Amino acid sequence: MLMPAEIVLLPVLLPLFGAALNLLMYNMPRLRGYLAFTVMAASLTSSVYLLLEVLHNGFPIVFQLGGWQAPFGITFVADLLSATMVVMSQLIISAGVLYALGSRDQCVRFPAFYTLFLTLATGLTGAFLTGDIFNLFVFAELLVVSGTVLTAISDDKYGVEAAYKYFYISLIASIFLLIASGLLYVAYGTLNMADLSARIAADPNQPLMPVAMVFLLAFFMVKSAIIPFHFWQPDFHTAAPTAVSALLSSVVVKLGVYGFLRMTTLLFVEQAQILRTVLIILGVIGVVFGGLGAIGTFNAKRMLAYSTLAQVGFMLVAIGWGTPLALASAIVYVFNHSLIKAALLMLAGAVASRAPVKSAAFQNVVGVGKSMPYGGALFLLGGLALAGIPPLNGFISKMTLFQSGIDAQAYFSLALIGFASLFTLIYIGRAFQKIWWEPMAPGSEPKPTGDSLLAPSILIGVCLILGVWGEPLLQLASAVASWLGDAQGYIQGVLVSLG
Amino acid sequence: MDLLFSIAVGAMFAIGIFQVLRRNVIRSVIGLFILSNAVNLFLLSSGAYQGVVAAYVNGSSLTASDALPQALILTAIVISMGGLALVLSLVYILSVRYKISDADKIKKLRY
Repeated sequence: MLMPAEIVLLPVLLPLFGAALNLLMYNMPRLRGYLAFTVMAASLTSSVYLLLEVLHNGFPIVFQLGGWQAPFGITFVADLLSATMVVMSQLIISAGVLYALGSRDQCVRFPAFYTLFLTLATGLTGAFLTGDIFNLFVFAELLVVSGTVLTAISDDKYGVEAAYKYFYISLIASIFLLIASGLLYVAYGTLNMADLSARIAADPNQPLMPVAMVFLLAFFMVKSAIIPFHFWQPDFHTAAPTAVSALLSSVVVKLGVYGFLRMTTLLFVEQAQILRTVLIILGVIGVVFGGLGAIGTFNAKRMLAYSTLAQVGFMLVAIGWGTPLALASAIVYVFNHSLIKAALLMLAGAVASRAPVKSAAFQNVVGVGKSMPYGGALFLLGGLALAGIPPLNGFISKMTLFQSGIDAQAYFSLALIGFASLFTLIYIGRAFQKIWWEPMAPGSEPKPTGDSLLAPSILIGVCLILGVWGEPLLQLASAVASWLGDAQGYIQGVLVSLG
Repeated sequence: MDLLFSIAVGAMFAIGIFQVLRRNVIRSVIGLFILSNAVNLFLLSSGAYQGVVAAYVNGSSLTASDALPQALILTAIVISMGGLALVLSLVYILSVRYKISDADKIKKLRY
């Protein structure tokens, strides 16, 4: 019989356990992948159960590790926001494992590939679920190391360069987070997020608090690849193996978005106005720069990586508006963008695997799509979803976003991002035209087989369902937003509960 | 003691940041080493070195040292050791493949 509080640990521990088991199966290459998929499916089931339980209860499920009470021990908290993020990331990671199973990359046969995949899942889930700033550092580091090694073993021969850039900037970011946690500990004597929130609200005039806030902001900015810390992101997401870059560009960058939501609604509620202004400015710059960058590239995967910069910008602007409706639209946007971007990157990777030279550069993939009309239909649907065209889920996220902008009367930033969202149509249209319309160069033939299209089909199917029947997601998002509006609920849930 | 400690931490941060900004990849990794040690000393300066008795000693009248920063530093040391070992191995592969140690010249990733 499972105690309700312990199910918080399941989405974290199951992938970790699977990773350990995977290491033992070094001479069973096929079985490793199936095991990883089974583990991720079980983990996804447990996280969906966790979300339903939290939604049903109305208060967070808290687990105190080792029985130490909240401000002293390490706490795992599944509130509505964390549980939603965990369900989203586990869904995409499961799809990523499914893609890796049908992938023809060499790196998938690397003995530790699925182990690293599962430790990446552990790091991401743990970072979403932890209620302790220092524990966030530990899980973020696990995530970074797994992502780095997965990219360094990529088939792309320059993968090591991208991995080096990412790892270097991430180590600097970890140093930022350590400085921030040291400062917060000096100023408030605790590292538990709920306790910190209560103490910061009680004594907001500590001289070290703004410094810690800035360092924490910088850490999350590096995690989400926000300007001016964005330079590693297009390289890294282009060079990673397709199954991995689909995760990196969709769910891993959401760690920073999650951090901004926590900072503005839990940790620094009174100082949130300053943070929000910063986030709106960064978001608008990101939207414009990402859109222009995506138009200016000559590689399908790189184009999608730049597009992630733009899409994260939309979420930042929504968090910056800060009204409950805007926060709800940010949640919807986060969820939908993960599905769309993962599917599009998988499709770009599937095209690259069929190209005469394995690469997603437009010069190599011109006309390759002629042999895969089904993939073209999926790419078109995904691209329209990214641009926000009606029958798909992207429309719902854009619509709630713009509606919340009108509601918050932020017309200037709304006009800017509304204009910049037109860039999406340009670059998606150009990629579609290059890959599926233009004829191949004479004398070259696409490879007859390539990566399986099963995983992107599932993701695009979910996109279609969420576009036609978006009501449950909208209700979930507005529940999350109204939960975020009251920091007291989180604080009391963590500090009072008996784990 | 406080003054001496802050000067030491500040000097380590200054040296570390200077080294991180160097163009030679090996030097910049050494800068990372120095920076991560500086951060550990910084965490220690949040009060852990002031005590003279370990936190688990009962009934002592002397100042007990704060146990939490010590735990943080231990974790940070272990994690940064792993991270720095990985970054060194990446630098090794880079130096084998690119035959150069100038960070500005490691830019084969285009398009």
